[in-house]
Amino acid sequence: MSKRNSSSSSSEEEDMRRLAVELRLLEGMAESLNSRINLLNAALTELNLANRTLEGLEKEEPDTPIFVPIGGGSYIKAKLEAKDEVIYGIGAGVAMEKTLKEAREGISNRIAELSKTKTSYEQQLRQVLQRIQADRDRLQELADRIRRGAGARDVRKAARGTE
Amino acid sequence: MPPAVQERLLRLQQLQQTLQSILTQKQQLELELIEIDQALSELEKASDDAVIYKSVGSLLVRSEKSKVTNDLKERKELTNMRITVLGRQEERLRSQIKELQEKLQKDLRPLSLPQ
Repeated sequence: MSKRNSSSSSSEEEDMRRLAVELRLLEGMAESLNSRINLLNAALTELNLANRTLEGLEKEEPDTPIFVPIGGGSYIKAKLEAKDEVIYGIGAGVAMEKTLKEAREGISNRIAELSKTKTSYEQQLRQVLQRIQADRDRLQELADRIRRGAGARDVRKAARGTE
Repeated sequence: MPPAVQERLLRLQQLQQTLQSILTQKQQLELELIEIDQALSELEKASDDAVIYKSVGSLLVRSEKSKVTNDLKERKELTNMRITVLGRQEERLRSQIKELQEKLQKDLRPLSLPQ
């Protein structure tokens, strides 16, 4: 009987160890998904800003005075020379000259692509978080059971000692 | 805990940290590869006389489609090579970690059995 008790407790401990390892992996996964989502959000904010800027410029005439941001909330005065020549970044440090329409199309496609990826990461994150919660519950349950088992063993030992 | 087991635990932690850093580097290179592929496919669609710029620090310098394409292909090859090397290191580390974890499980089992 006591052999059975000790073997079930050891298998529970084994389960606990396995769950702890799994939890660590899942937490790492959640962290990595979170940081990817943050990166995507930053990229989406930038692309939406570029899209809005191009949308606004579309309505302007050449030679319209504009203020170009130079960072730190500062601007320099300039004139819109050619609104239909947009330098569009295609990644890997390369940019191409495109018409405003082409550039807007490219940006919209990238926004759609990134939003799709973001939705998929968010879905994965939800699943990982659910799994983390389930593992934590199970871990708690096992810890309680082991604690109760150890308590009962102590009581039996104490009872034998008084006989 | 016996000193030998403690030493093994420390070694395991070090290996796990190294693996994590290798994985981060590999992931960055994989992202770079995706970006290079996307840029190459955009360049392929562009006409031969398309106006192309290459970023040099915070500047954009005018270049040519063929030159930029060749540069990107070279970068792709180099990135692929680095990913392969990191992949081999990852594999080696994973097997070392697995071996060490098995040894540690054996080391720790007698300690966790009820008296």
